Amino acid sequence: MRFWAFGKRNLKEIYRDPLALGFLLGMPIAFIVIFSFAFGGEHASPLNISVVNEDNRSATSEAFVQCLENMENLEVNRISEKSQAEEELSTGKLSTYLVIPEGFAQQAKQEGQPVKLELVFDEADPMTAQRVEPVIRVAAAKFLQISSPLDIKLLGQGVEVKDNYINYMVPGMIVFGLMILVPTGVRIIVTDKEKGFLSRLLTTPARPWDFILGYALALVPVVAVSTMIYLGVGMGMGLSMVGNLGLAFLVFFIIGLCCIGIAMILGALFSSEAQGEPACWFFLLPMAMISGAWWPTEQMPSVLQRIAAAFPFFHAMDASRQVITGGASFTTILPDLYWLIGWTVVLFAIGIILFRRQMAS
Amino acid sequence: MNVRVGVKLSEAIQTFELTRHFNSLVAVNHINLEIGKGELFSLLGPNGAGKTTTIRMLCCLLKPTSGTAQVMGYDIAEEPFKVKELIGVSPQETSISERLNCWENLSLIGEIHRLTSTETKRRSQELLERMGLIERSKDQVRKFSGGMKRRLSLIMALVHDPEVLFLDEPTLGLDPQSRRAIWEYIAQLKGKKTILLTTHYLEEADVLSDRLAIIDEGKIAVLGTPEELKKNLSDKQTMVIKVGNLTAEVMSGLRGRYAEVEQRNDELILSASELDFKEITEYLYSQGITIRSAALKQPTLDDVFIQITGKELRE
Repeated sequence: MRFWAFGKRNLKEIYRDPLALGFLLGMPIAFIVIFSFAFGGEHASPLNISVVNEDNRSATSEAFVQCLENMENLEVNRISEKSQAEEELSTGKLSTYLVIPEGFAQQAKQEGQPVKLELVFDEADPMTAQRVEPVIRVAAAKFLQISSPLDIKLLGQGVEVKDNYINYMVPGMIVFGLMILVPTGVRIIVTDKEKGFLSRLLTTPARPWDFILGYALALVPVVAVSTMIYLGVGMGMGLSMVGNLGLAFLVFFIIGLCCIGIAMILGALFSSEAQGEPACWFFLLPMAMISGAWWPTEQMPSVLQRIAAAFPFFHAMDASRQVITGGASFTTILPDLYWLIGWTVVLFAIGIILFRRQMAS
Repeated sequence: MNVRVGVKLSEAIQTFELTRHFNSLVAVNHINLEIGKGELFSLLGPNGAGKTTTIRMLCCLLKPTSGTAQVMGYDIAEEPFKVKELIGVSPQETSISERLNCWENLSLIGEIHRLTSTETKRRSQELLERMGLIERSKDQVRKFSGGMKRRLSLIMALVHDPEVLFLDEPTLGLDPQSRRAIWEYIAQLKGKKTILLTTHYLEEADVLSDRLAIIDEGKIAVLGTPEELKKNLSDKQTMVIKVGNLTAEVMSGLRGRYAEVEQRNDELILSASELDFKEITEYLYSQGITIRSAALKQPTLDDVFIQITGKELRE
């Protein structure tokens, strides 16, 4: 199998280049550690959040507030009247408060019914709201899995998520880490082009799919190993896995394959490292931003959300967060998996077509 | 073997009006070549003449704009993978996987050509020994000198024992010792493999080639054996004599005997359709002229090249 021989060669080129390997694995690990120290875990200051419960102090809403109070990284301050919260926000005493609106308990009882919460924040300090929002989101997601209001108190206390910011941040960082496979793959291909090695191999009987599979094969173990390392570092920093670890791994593995497919396409299109690497970042950084690697996509204009949802990264982050923080099952994330698998197949097919065209030029 | 009707079985490479354009530039212009099996054929020409483009088309790396070519009877456009099974290529760039050692690079080529592991090892051992790389064969190639990389590149073109070998500037940028080592090895392959060589070193082409062609501006300007080309360069012979005390009378006497007589400082240059070395030296002695040295000048490929292309060689 020619692709196997070619894959072995490419893997050796990767692991015998410690600097490139260090950059590939090191950057996402550094991001996870820095973000965790900065905004999560034992080292971070707890977030202050004021809560206005307008749901007539129903058992469900009360249980939800208790759930928030039980969280290690939140300091909850109850405010009885919304007007008081508005005044404190306008005078700068508060930067953010959460309103549990009337009807919250009713909405929580009805499965499939959207449950509304309001997070009011000082526009002069949007960063605090950005930190609070994912914590509230994860807590609400955990809380609202409860179908019977009788169990509210018990299950509310049972929320085991230690640091919801880390749970929100780590999946995004892992997907971002796997996105770095794109410039890595492109670098290998364009270096082979620049040094004439690919030309030499194109004079052999190797076929287009031998090249695509050979390059891809070398990156597959990198996807597997780097995902395990990122998950390990994330867990070390306080990530608590609510869902199935294998399912989360599957999501990361498929987005890794997608990234390899993108690398094959860009590698076929560009002929020098000076062109290829900037082109990768030109594409990847906006993708990471709009797909929710660093902040929730719900804060973005709807047009950007729709653009993000057309690409696989959004679905990888969405599915992995659902599994890691919400304990979602395989069937729950199946729509996201369809997107990911579809994109992977399309990207590899385009990669083979481009390589075939290049061989026939 | 699926051989095209009309192809001469004795020819390893045949081109039929082979042409390649790059936008408005005509890099290769209706070239017709026939290279026999076991022949070592050199393509010479100034930079940008079309040598590498011709080789890239014959190796199926570039599609011809028009015309075609056959390698061992297989059409380069219709059956490129058949052609690729039969050829070995040593490109102008050394084109080696830098973080692999010699064995790993050769094993890759062997596996792509579906050689058994035993066969690849046997051929690699033999070639590495012959090219003097066996002692460094387990080092990563990035630690090699330019000469070592060139030698390994040549071995990579040979490890699968191809019938046709394309060597594009195989000694470019090498020191004289490394160049000689590669020449000696190529000379050993003569008659066993069909070799198409491009080079800027005319001495290399002169020593190694059975036949050669000078290509200029995409066209074959002249083709033949090195001896034929040198002989055809001029129908005149030239003699260069270093002399002392040359007089006007002697110059006048010489002009009466020979077609062209020229004096450049202490050098006397005579040209005529036939020159008799003994007769000239005896005449000069009889006139009391001191002769420091005298030689009949042989034309070189440099002379042929410059006469044909009108350009100096450049690297």
